Amino acid sequence: MFKNYLKIAWRNLLRNKSFSLLNILGLSIGLAVTALILLWVNYEIGFNQFHDNKDRIYQVYNKYKVDGEIWTWNSTPKVMASVIKKDYPEVEEVTRYFYENTFLFSKGDKRIKSNGTIVDPSFLNIFSFPLIEGDIETVFEDVNALVITEKFAKKMFGNEPAVGQTVTVDNTDNFKVTGILKDLPTNTEFNFEYLMPWSYLKQKGYDDKNWGNNSIATYVLLKEGTDYENFSKKIETLRENYDKDAPDMVTFLYPYTRSHLYSEFENGKEVGGLIDIIRLFTIIAIIVLAIACINFMNLSTARSEKRAKEVGVRKVVGARKNALVLQFLGESILISFLGAVLALVVVVIALPSFSELINTALIIEWTNPWFWGGMFSIILITGLLAGSYPALYLSAFKPSAVLKGTFNKINTLVTPRKILVVVQFSVAIILITATIVVKEQISNVQDRKLGYNKDNLIYVQMEGDIEKHYQAIKSELLDTGIATAISKTNSPITESWSNSWGFQWEGKSEDDKTLVHRLVADNNIVETMGLRLVEGRDFDLKTYPTDSTAAILNESAVKLMGFENPIGARIKDNGIDWHIVGVIEDFVYNSPFQKIEPMVIEGAKGWFNMVHLKLNPQNKTAANLASATAIFKKYNPNYPFNYEFIDEDYAKKFADEERTEKLASLFTVLTILISCLGLFGLASYMAQNRIKEIGIRKVLGASASAITSLLSIDFLKLVFISLVIAIPISWYAMNQWLQDFAYKIDISWWMFTIAGLLALVIAFITVSYQAIKAAKSNPVKSLRTE
Amino acid sequence: MLLQLNNIFKWVNSGGQRIFLLKDINLQVEEGEFISIMGPSGSGKSTLLNVIGMLDGFDEGEYNFLHESVHTLKEKHRSNLYKEYIGFVFQSYHLLDELTVQENLEMPLLYKKFKGSERKAMVADMLDRFNIVGKKDLFPAQLSGGQQQLVGVARALIASPKLILADEPTGNLNSSQSEEIMELFKQLNQEGVTIIQVTHSEQNAAYGSRVINLLDGRMI
Repeated sequence: MFKNYLKIAWRNLLRNKSFSLLNILGLSIGLAVTALILLWVNYEIGFNQFHDNKDRIYQVYNKYKVDGEIWTWNSTPKVMASVIKKDYPEVEEVTRYFYENTFLFSKGDKRIKSNGTIVDPSFLNIFSFPLIEGDIETVFEDVNALVITEKFAKKMFGNEPAVGQTVTVDNTDNFKVTGILKDLPTNTEFNFEYLMPWSYLKQKGYDDKNWGNNSIATYVLLKEGTDYENFSKKIETLRENYDKDAPDMVTFLYPYTRSHLYSEFENGKEVGGLIDIIRLFTIIAIIVLAIACINFMNLSTARSEKRAKEVGVRKVVGARKNALVLQFLGESILISFLGAVLALVVVVIALPSFSELINTALIIEWTNPWFWGGMFSIILITGLLAGSYPALYLSAFKPSAVLKGTFNKINTLVTPRKILVVVQFSVAIILITATIVVKEQISNVQDRKLGYNKDNLIYVQMEGDIEKHYQAIKSELLDTGIATAISKTNSPITESWSNSWGFQWEGKSEDDKTLVHRLVADNNIVETMGLRLVEGRDFDLKTYPTDSTAAILNESAVKLMGFENPIGARIKDNGIDWHIVGVIEDFVYNSPFQKIEPMVIEGAKGWFNMVHLKLNPQNKTAANLASATAIFKKYNPNYPFNYEFIDEDYAKKFADEERTEKLASLFTVLTILISCLGLFGLASYMAQNRIKEIGIRKVLGASASAITSLLSIDFLKLVFISLVIAIPISWYAMNQWLQDFAYKIDISWWMFTIAGLLALVIAFITVSYQAIKAAKSNPVKSLRTE
Repeated sequence: MLLQLNNIFKWVNSGGQRIFLLKDINLQVEEGEFISIMGPSGSGKSTLLNVIGMLDGFDEGEYNFLHESVHTLKEKHRSNLYKEYIGFVFQSYHLLDELTVQENLEMPLLYKKFKGSERKAMVADMLDRFNIVGKKDLFPAQLSGGQQQLVGVARALIASPKLILADEPTGNLNSSQSEEIMELFKQLNQEGVTIIQVTHSEQNAAYGSRVINLLDGRMI
């Protein structure tokens, strides 16, 4: 019996190639989208969840009321860990995690930069990062012990055994490799290739007992059976006895398992986080799959007349309704299976680009039984879902009616399909509008006046001996004509790494806590960056040696501080009196989507992290870079010459929005595609249904074009209804989205016009194919088949 | 006695009026009969055949089939009854286009839960009997009308029904094909199968042992 069903299902597929193709294609698109999204959701849900102790691990957070609002953050003083360990017996282990940073590791001629951090020895007991070599109890015993990952060991030592080898770190200290870690999985927030013991930090004098210096992460492992609620109350007041400046600051433990998906706080309360996006995309996955399933129903029932005879015959020779329901369900499951196979191919092909799009390395776990289980359940659910309606509908035919040809085409069934088309096109129009708005917003911001010249501008990290030989490097670069201007700064021009509400100026009110950004530069900052001076002058240490305490303000800062004559005025910051020598136009830093905040550029008395070079535009960039490399190598031989282009850095600021745009375009195209498949099915059903009417109209003299428009107009009406539904929804949704940007476009009517026209044209093309086909058919044929 | 219809009425309501499709039909059919139902278009021939075949219900009257009173039976029993005892032959053959001749013949057996080996034997037997062994792997579209109807009759016969109902079995055939099918019916009848056919042709009706004439739903 089953074989017979399979056979007839297969032959049906082959016989109706275009129909089968539409069905399988539609389902496979839906399934592929669902699978990609589910893979991603699965990845995010599994993030940070692989630690054996995960239910007992907590990160230490702080809450503090500032200006009536509760701020929440997760960096702690270094000294806190020891206090926790000492005062709270419920705590089994506690570890500090210094911020991750890059060191240069060298052994002989080999020099490798690697990212890692410094931890307490208990780190490896709390988190499940297994050691392949080395003893967990003793790997960090020595101050200069180094634990590295397998991958790093391979890079550094090749196939030689790594444990016991000595490497030099940043040309200063020698470390001995004591342990090898299994490479980190991708689904962890930590990103280290090496770990060093906290005792090293202490030896270097970087450990401090300052409760005001909240800069590192602290993790706690509670003893088994500890009641979290009770313990939370106990630890809240931790700072009371220790922190003299902020004794009322609240300490709390945040469950580590929630850290990835939630951990966004507003006014002291958890308000979600990544989970919101996950939910949104899960809903999108369900909508896309549902649309694909209902398409399948559309197309299947559209062919009901062809199947009606078969149902009649089967019933007459003895089939029960149940048997027929099973048969049709089997067919839809077969189609869903084929769709899934195709979808899997699509997923495999699309996975790398999708991973890149969402900036997450997804993989398919082929050997994971859950993957196969999940896939087969999706096939089954999709098949049952998509097949249920056609199966019940088709199997209910009465043989006496269908076999005699008096089979009534039931037009009432059209209404739910119309609703479906309206839903599909509403979604499509909303997505088209969203894509247009996002695109406009991005290009609008990209066109924003930058306020400096990012062409030929690069920056280099101040590392190794660069600081020491700065003057020599600078004169050589300028003398050889590689660079036209050079300036040291504390951060790249694209970012502000420093800000404060502690600036003082004449007339500042007591409670003014406006943040003012701080850039530090030594010389020629205006010339190097191509900033625009409104008044005053650039820093010029040669002519004015006092410029080391000079300041340049942007216009927003001048406005904030209310200077009538800023030049010569004084402001106080970090205990230094800065005298203002220049005012520049506001320039874009940090997010180009936000408004420009007040900024003070302080003179050479600050500290420096970067060197900015304005390369000579007369030379080829490649030649400039080659010469620059040689000069830096000469003065800083132990470090590779790494540089970044400012224009590339700036372009990266659009990554999130561009990703949104790409995802929106992707889902738009897919939704339109699936919608069109559905519309195509509905159109063919309608044309079939009205074939007699068309025949009569033609016999009575209707032209092909009249009939085409007669058939198409119904569908275009549906698109119009969708437009009416979609406009307010997308207007509201896109305004919500734009809320996040200070620098934004206005939504205007032309965006909806384009979206509507696009939907109309696409719908018309889809429908008119069927309409023209029906209109061109020979009326004699259609009238005779009665 | 195979079946008996007593005072069968069937009607539809249209525009407040009751239109009779069948009016006071009384009919008794003995096993081994070969009956032809004749009458002009719209006289109720096919309706009567559908009522006898239990594909259609009726509004009034009694119908006894092999001492079961069909009018009191539930739908499920009724369909069991016709599945077991009745074979259908149609004017337009109604073979399934997606199945080969052999598979078309096998289909009724599948629904009757015969074992694979039994099915094979019965299908082979039928192919042999109708002399279509050479065509067993062809699809209906590859056969002539007469050959398709031959398969149709074979399919109706395969589960050895007591009664064959044929609705204008030769309506789509030319005269020589037509004659062939009628000869086949005659032979089957002689082998003991009861046959009721609807026909327009006097010539075909002549094969039967009895003719029932219908006009406007009435027997005349």
